Amino acid sequence: MIDQIATVASNRLIAKDTVEMELRLENETRPLPGQFAHIEAKGVFLRRPISVAGYADGLLRVIIQRVGKGSYALSEMQEGETTRVLAPLGNPFPTTPPPGGDGPLWIVGGGIGVAPLLYLGKKLSETVGASREIRSFLGFREPSLVFGADELGGAGEVELATGGLVTDLPERALAKETPSVIFTCGPTGMLRAVQKICAAHNILAYASLEEHMGCGVGACLVCSCKVRTQSGYEYKRVCYDGPVFSLSEVIFG
Amino acid sequence: MNSDNKNDIAQRGGVSSLRMLETNLCGVRLKNPLISASGTFGFGMEYDRLYDVSCWGALTLKGLTLKPRAGNPPRRMVETASGMLNSVGLQNPGVDCFIRDDLPRIAEKGVPIIANVSGFSEEEYVAVIRRLADTSVDLIELNISCPNVHCGGTHFATSPESVGEITKAVRAHCRQPLIVKLSPNVTDISAVAMAAEENGADGISLINTLSGMAVDLDKRTPILANVTGGLSGPAIKPVALRMVWQASRTVKIPVVGMGGIMTGRDVAEFMTAGAKAVMIGTANFIDPMSGPRILREFEEYLEESGTTSLASLIGSLKV
Repeated sequence: MIDQIATVASNRLIAKDTVEMELRLENETRPLPGQFAHIEAKGVFLRRPISVAGYADGLLRVIIQRVGKGSYALSEMQEGETTRVLAPLGNPFPTTPPPGGDGPLWIVGGGIGVAPLLYLGKKLSETVGASREIRSFLGFREPSLVFGADELGGAGEVELATGGLVTDLPERALAKETPSVIFTCGPTGMLRAVQKICAAHNILAYASLEEHMGCGVGACLVCSCKVRTQSGYEYKRVCYDGPVFSLSEVIFG
Repeated sequence: MNSDNKNDIAQRGGVSSLRMLETNLCGVRLKNPLISASGTFGFGMEYDRLYDVSCWGALTLKGLTLKPRAGNPPRRMVETASGMLNSVGLQNPGVDCFIRDDLPRIAEKGVPIIANVSGFSEEEYVAVIRRLADTSVDLIELNISCPNVHCGGTHFATSPESVGEITKAVRAHCRQPLIVKLSPNVTDISAVAMAAEENGADGISLINTLSGMAVDLDKRTPILANVTGGLSGPAIKPVALRMVWQASRTVKIPVVGMGGIMTGRDVAEFMTAGAKAVMIGTANFIDPMSGPRILREFEEYLEESGTTSLASLIGSLKV
């Protein structure tokens, strides 16, 4: 983890209100899939936690959807502009090796939640792609918002939902095969549905969660999520204990 | 000038300015007057992964209660204009767990430790403080002003009488120097500061967060699950400066100032207004390197302004 200056190396619109940026980092940083960066944005007070969508040769790739002032300001950054980036933060998806035996690996993503799964798909493809089937299910509210489907196609088969519930796709696919693990990221409603499917079919699953953050390093306790414990529940820090959690232990509010 | 000379001068300058930054807070020697603010710095080790946290004058750790507390449900934070509202709700593992698991690690850093103590009754405050008596904690900061917990906290802070009572009750059992942290959510900060001093506080710190709220207009609901939260950041700095100035004119015990400090010049402003030391909180979220950066900036300010001692800065405001 290091706080450093980053220079925008590229910025392009890849879908409606969705920008892909490459940030050149001064210092060597090796983020893993599921980790995030805390990025300073112009005109807003706090940094914005953005998942890592890729990393190679000192270039940190992020995908930003314009949803508020902070994400809008980030998406407007042009080539050559600089900002400050604290990274890598949080715990990655378990990928070395992926747990749960040697069955298929499923990726379930919704909306901007697909961003970290692109990096995950690449990593899985490189490490275990030869021996494990990788299948992705991606959902977007409308066709204009779709991104990443071709890219994940490089790792394996991709099924796409635009408009309906993305979780209908893995539910149908379960008639043919059962994955040994599901990796997921997306809106809370989708994660809740994935959790239900996994509980019903006894499938191991890991989800990357999102919450409004302060420090990003586990010091301020504002980005809490409710997690099951033996005696009931506790609030864990999304930034430090997560953002990747075992899906079965998360209690969605 | 050759490089040997430069190093020589840098070293001499460094040594003299280091000594100049030393301060004595209620009998505890701090190597500089910068202190992390409670609730923004975890139990100290979170930022140690980024830099050596022993650069701080002292560290105030996350507020402690007798029993573990889960804290408030999310959402706990919302960004505001030049600040943020939080309602963490005193989430902490309880004082015993802190003493066993967290204190030994941060104590190894050799930096003075301030334990922040919260409670819902006089008995609870006393119980927590008694447990901390024989530990390596150097100072106690009494949090009587956390505005987030429905059943406690706020009422201790809101009147001079109740501040006096809780200070007196705790003082009798407190082995360490006692700093009472004051709430800005009062009508007369001077009266509250005086009540703390008269009842045995060794110092006061202020201001805690200002009580506030934020509204989700689309849903017509409060944004925070707890409805209200505590406002911090540069948004509250003018209020904090005013209260530090008023309190420091009233009491003789040391005043620790805080509220929206982001730069070395902010530190100097609070000290000019009467603070003997300062606490830095929300700035850590904006710039995770705030501790070492603000210290460097403060040293630069002292040098540029020709300030030769902290004593000549503290309370030097000309009104």
